[in-house]
Amino acid sequence: MELWLDAAKGPLFRLCFAIMILGLIRIFLLDIWGAYKAYRKAGDKTMPWKLIISRSIEWLFPVKRFGHNRPFYSVISILFHVGLLLVPLFLFAHVQLWRESLGFGWITLPYQWAFWLTLSTIFFAVALFFGRLLNKSSSFISRKQDYLWPLILLIPFVTGFVCAHLSINPQTYQTFMLIHVLSGDIIFVLIPFTKIAHCVLMPLSQVVCTIAWKFPPETDEAVCSTLNKKGAPV
Amino acid sequence: MLKTNQITPEEKKKAFTSIRKKEINENQKLNVLYHIEDFNVNDRPQRFLEAFAAILKHSNYKMALDHFIRMSAKCSRCATTCQVYQATGDPKDIPCYRSELLLSVYRRHFTMGGLLKGRLSGGGYLTDEKIQEMAESFWNCTACRRCSLECPSGIDHGLITHLGRYILSEIGIAPRALVVSTREQLEGATKNTSAIPVPALKDTLEFLEDDMFEEKSVHIKFPIDVENTDYVFFPAVSDFLMEAETLMGIAAVFTVTGDSWTTGTGYFDGINYGLFYSDRMLERVVKKIDVETKRLKGKNVLIGECGHASRSAKYFLPAYCGGKDAFPVINIMEYTYKIWKEGKLKLNPDVVTEKVAYHDPCNIARQRWIINQPREILKSFCKNYVEMTPNGDENICCGGGGGTVSIDEIRPYRTTVGGKLKADQIRKSGCEILVAPCANCKKQLRELVEDQGIDCQVVGLHDLIYKAIIFDDSQIIKKEDEPETLKKEN
Repeated sequence: MELWLDAAKGPLFRLCFAIMILGLIRIFLLDIWGAYKAYRKAGDKTMPWKLIISRSIEWLFPVKRFGHNRPFYSVISILFHVGLLLVPLFLFAHVQLWRESLGFGWITLPYQWAFWLTLSTIFFAVALFFGRLLNKSSSFISRKQDYLWPLILLIPFVTGFVCAHLSINPQTYQTFMLIHVLSGDIIFVLIPFTKIAHCVLMPLSQVVCTIAWKFPPETDEAVCSTLNKKGAPV
Repeated sequence: MLKTNQITPEEKKKAFTSIRKKEINENQKLNVLYHIEDFNVNDRPQRFLEAFAAILKHSNYKMALDHFIRMSAKCSRCATTCQVYQATGDPKDIPCYRSELLLSVYRRHFTMGGLLKGRLSGGGYLTDEKIQEMAESFWNCTACRRCSLECPSGIDHGLITHLGRYILSEIGIAPRALVVSTREQLEGATKNTSAIPVPALKDTLEFLEDDMFEEKSVHIKFPIDVENTDYVFFPAVSDFLMEAETLMGIAAVFTVTGDSWTTGTGYFDGINYGLFYSDRMLERVVKKIDVETKRLKGKNVLIGECGHASRSAKYFLPAYCGGKDAFPVINIMEYTYKIWKEGKLKLNPDVVTEKVAYHDPCNIARQRWIINQPREILKSFCKNYVEMTPNGDENICCGGGGGTVSIDEIRPYRTTVGGKLKADQIRKSGCEILVAPCANCKKQLRELVEDQGIDCQVVGLHDLIYKAIIFDDSQIIKKEDEPETLKKEN
């Protein structure tokens, strides 16, 4: 068991983490490259930066949107994201691991904060799952991954909570810790290839949409030519 | 948050009862509410994919579609903001579902992952049924783009609907009303969507000038084919037939300022249905504005009270006609606001006493282009101004957006489903006069208040300005100063 755990925490973790980072860099750069190429093609190169930035900030910190639509869902979703980001990044035990391997660390969450944030994230993940399942419009448009993601994300949180806060025998601890680390590894690998890619692409959305409406000149002739419609009546 | 109730089964039946003949549906292998010209029904999926590929090759849509398929979280926030979905309660009207119709085709046929998955599973091909669903769904949408404000992932469902309609039009599926009008505009004898011949235009403008003199005792002119003016004017051409008071208000404003402007007889139509169904047509129509402004050696393009005409000129004249060297495009409300701010425009606050509200046209307000200017003008002379909420960039569409207002055969759908939330908002405001500075919004809102039994008059901003405008004494011609010929006529 210990060997498995060491592998999961060591080489496997490094591999999965590298896949995530490289994968995210890849899609981020592809997005930027696509937007740049489109911008180069566009006839109108003016960009309403003020509007783009203000709308991007509105969604990165969606406080303004709390009371708008589905307020219950919105609040849960935002709080879920808060826990999802803060706990893995600032948990004392996690930062300690980074410190051991990198030689430096960063600020950590106080014990009580970590305790309540983990519990709330578990609670909100369950709420999001049932929210999707029971809401008529959400369930109609949901894919498999939309249901699976809250459940997959639950695994490291539940197992981590058990290991950190409950008294269990060493054997069980090892099992839970292995599941905790492995599920984390799997999540890292999945991130760039699923909708969780929004963690790096979201800030680009408003720019991408703005450029998409910047049409290139002379497309009429080019499309006509490709479709053999030159001279065809309207 | 303003919400509306779902329509009743009776209303649903009324809204979705097609007046298309059954045999037409069968011949065209398409069951939609709007009329379509005869088209080739063979190999539709193949031709759809060819058109899709050609458009992707020559446009900027690909990078947006790539972004959207990576981002889409299917949270359904867009559902709660969509006025069509609120009215029908049909999950197929959820903007994200509608977008997925096209995104799934893109994913399956134009991405490596989709092609591999397709090869392995041997399925997922585009079918006639899916094209049928798109043809229905993309034209149920009013293309108001309000859902794009509510999407946490920033997905512009309006852009996907726009693209979907464009691809469909390339295989012959587009509302006949829009195609026929655009054909007249681009290839017809009159070169405008309302088929107004130039002599009729001149007669109309002369008649309006006489009318204005009678009413205001001021020589208000509609200059025609004047070269080197500051502004070349392109209203929605239907205004010449249906919105005389809007045009008179605009002419009156120019009379007060003395700025030079003109309407060209070479081309005088601001309408651009290409924005609603085909980028190719959008480009062709925009270029006509450029050519006419060059012919008249004008300095600026001035668009009348029309949302989509303003947007198509403002955003696509630079795209297709020279980028930063393209003619600057100004909406008439911007011009009027500027001269009002400078104190050149005086308005009588005792003329309009009714309760007045302002409706934001989506194509003008969604991008926060013109929101406060008309409100400030209205508040300055309408004593009883009320605000409808939500408004501004979060406004509620009239229900006839995206070109649907011009499709007469779907009026029951527009006034029962598309405009239901707007009708509730108008009722709630209690306004007696609704100011809608857009030819399309005006038509839709008039039909909406009529069909929904709301007692409210729909006018343009310049209609009210015309009523309240105060001319300088030096411009008013007293009876004794009138030329003999006019006195006799009077």
